[in-house]
Amino acid sequence: MNFKKQFKEGLLTKNPVTVQLLGMCSTLAITTSLFNGIGMGLSVLVILTCSNILISALRKVIPNQIRIAAYIVIIAGFVTIVDLLLKAFIPALSENLGVFIPLIVVNCIVLGRAEAFASKNTVLASAVDGITQGIGYTVALVIMCVIRELLGSGTFGGGLLNGGEGIRIIPAQFPAMQMVMPVGGFLVLGCVIAGSQWLMKHLEKTSKKKEAVK
Amino acid sequence: MKTESTVKFVLRLALTLFAITAVVAGCLAGVNAITEPRIAALNEEKTQAAIEAVLPGGGTLAGTWSDSTGFVSKVYESDTGYAVEVKPNGFDNTITMMVGVDKAGKVLGISVISHTETAGLGATCAAKTAAGEAFRDQFAGMSGQVAVTKDGGSVDAITGATITSRAVCAGVNAALECVANMG
Repeated sequence: MNFKKQFKEGLLTKNPVTVQLLGMCSTLAITTSLFNGIGMGLSVLVILTCSNILISALRKVIPNQIRIAAYIVIIAGFVTIVDLLLKAFIPALSENLGVFIPLIVVNCIVLGRAEAFASKNTVLASAVDGITQGIGYTVALVIMCVIRELLGSGTFGGGLLNGGEGIRIIPAQFPAMQMVMPVGGFLVLGCVIAGSQWLMKHLEKTSKKKEAVK
Repeated sequence: MKTESTVKFVLRLALTLFAITAVVAGCLAGVNAITEPRIAALNEEKTQAAIEAVLPGGGTLAGTWSDSTGFVSKVYESDTGYAVEVKPNGFDNTITMMVGVDKAGKVLGISVISHTETAGLGATCAAKTAAGEAFRDQFAGMSGQVAVTKDGGSVDAITGATITSRAVCAGVNAALECVANMG
């Protein structure tokens, strides 16, 4: 097990959003304010980690033929628990994220990691995978949120800072509303994916140069 | 599965899935038992706050009510007017909101209790932001039939959320009609 490698994979080289292109529905829909991005990211992180741990622990008990059904039941259980807890203890976040919390059940990231990783690896490695992939998802969401919120609403930290209004950076009459609408989601997602590809190429080049110097 | 007969194999699959489902259901029942009273209390608190917001001094549940749309769910009455709980169909699902109406049939104010509108767009109808306040405040003083400007009315719709704005108008209309029927 290599925590550093898993962390790098989750954050960049196998980022669930920008490389694996999983969970696009929620990514495009809720990235309109910082509060939503962090809330959704952390919810997925918790659910992903819990379901990874449990599925990994049960990987030898669950027969291969019914594994998908079993995974979905386990994931749905955790999602419902998180949904109920949010409704009871953080109602503001629950209202903002609306239907997208229950929809984490069918978020491909969670099932994808269960199938591709947790069902083949130890409990500890799966827990780390859940956390790193969750962080990767959260970081991608937060980047999209910041860009879309700034261009679409002209604010930073909406729902969190300055009593929920966010700190105004661009005067109210200038922001392009389209950026918080679906079209802005696709545009920003494309740019974020392009940016992460550039970063990966850049890192590869610099590491090669270092090797050449040696 | 050479050593296992087909019957045993199928039974093993079914029982494993059954066991997992049963355990998950048990956990959910536990979490639900903890959160249910809290969620119910929060909803009750929100309803009371919404009544207070649209009908100063609050009100008590009134007897019978009717409207042609079926949006009206509850009516609270006080000496000065009514607070009507309506559930019009929004963009995603029903929007539960409270509409305050005075005895003369004028809107006192509206307050959204719960909704599942799109975050950042339709959700503005309930948001505690300047845009949300401005949208809700414009209903105060209106009477008869309200509609968004696109439909020839005088309500400025929320930018990018015409359907949500129409739904709120429909809710206000249902509340006004209901109060008119009450006499």
